[in-house]
Amino acid sequence: MRGVPIEALRRVPLFADLNKRELQQVARLFKERRFPSGETVIKEGSGGAAFFVIERGEAKVFVGGKERSTLGPGEFFGEIALIDQGTRMATITAAGDLVCYGVTYWDFRPLVEKNGVIGWKLLERMARMLRENRDGASAPQTSATSAPSPAAPSTKPGSPKIAK
Amino acid sequence: MKQAVPLEKALDAALFGSKAVGLGQAIRDGLPVPPGVALSGAIVEAVAASERRAIKEVVKIVKPLGGPLAVRSSAADEDGASASFAGQHLTLLNVPSSDEVGPAVSEIWWSANSDSAITYRKRVGLFTRPNVGVVVQALLDPEAAGVMFTRNPVTGDDERVIEASWGLGEAVVAGLVIPDHFRVDRAGQVLERKPGVKSIAVRSNPKGGTVQEDVSPDRVEQLCLDDDDLAELNRLAGRCEQIYGPNRDIEWALAAGKLYLLQCRAVTRAGA
Repeated sequence: MRGVPIEALRRVPLFADLNKRELQQVARLFKERRFPSGETVIKEGSGGAAFFVIERGEAKVFVGGKERSTLGPGEFFGEIALIDQGTRMATITAAGDLVCYGVTYWDFRPLVEKNGVIGWKLLERMARMLRENRDGASAPQTSATSAPSPAAPSTKPGSPKIAK
Repeated sequence: MKQAVPLEKALDAALFGSKAVGLGQAIRDGLPVPPGVALSGAIVEAVAASERRAIKEVVKIVKPLGGPLAVRSSAADEDGASASFAGQHLTLLNVPSSDEVGPAVSEIWWSANSDSAITYRKRVGLFTRPNVGVVVQALLDPEAAGVMFTRNPVTGDDERVIEASWGLGEAVVAGLVIPDHFRVDRAGQVLERKPGVKSIAVRSNPKGGTVQEDVSPDRVEQLCLDDDDLAELNRLAGRCEQIYGPNRDIEWALAAGKLYLLQCRAVTRAGA
């Protein structure tokens, strides 16, 4: 199958304002990636250019070498790297055989550049996330490795977890 | 362009990457390269995106190679004169057959987009979309393998420097052993033979991938190349320099008594 199911993307705060057609355009950019148990998916301090949604399996989140949380199917990490290619703020490793869908900065950027409506919705959402972060509100979360601020992975029940 | 061609037909480095085109040139020039297939960056990306037509085309062209297979990256911007991507992109050895080549190609595409590869790209000022071609070749089961510099990379002296170990060359490339070290002058005169400590050999695993095997104690410090092998390697170095130019970094393997060229690239940092 090509791309990620759009239901998985609906949970990602960054994409929360996109309609079905726009989400489909984003979803088509995703490619499956498999990791054997123990493999590092993203590494704290590294540059990054990909965002992942977990399809099957679990992944452990480490910050400063300390285990902080476990991510499971439907959870995601690294979405801010799609925009700023910034430094990863956590290490994530496969806790068993792990299947993810990933999209790279190289694929995402041309879509946003071509589609101003998507771009503007992302910008609005980013601004809201920044404001909420600044105000300390219990905002819709980003993931465990790519927050606008170096946030720890969220363990709040029911909320998506942030990772750059 | 989504293309999959026999290695000897890989002509355009912008499509297939410098490794594929270099090996294709070597075959056209009569050098002993194991048979293989070159996949363009576009078809590699299509396979990574699970496009059925692309996967079918790749499986079809790879099938005659049999198995096991070596699947290596051949990015269009790797192995350049100013930056080496050695070690950044994945090489998958001992992929059992053409049926498993799709996932292997996908893994290589992702390796070029991994955090470590992206970090490296930023460091060397190549933060651009990776264009990852792939080379698929029949995997050899070598008695010995290793690397050779056509000019001494440390001193700059005009002599061949050869490092060798038992089994697949990954034991040398990955630094898993202290390899045998040889220096040979252009006339073929052996200047130095220094046994290494080759406690393990990397071999193909019948279940796929590779396995590290213990080397029997009597072979750990036994030289894995004789003077005839060194003469053959010196001839190969000369041919590679004739074709590609001076100062080459060569990967080679000796299998069933025959010397094979696995890779030939420019030395990215010359010695003093």
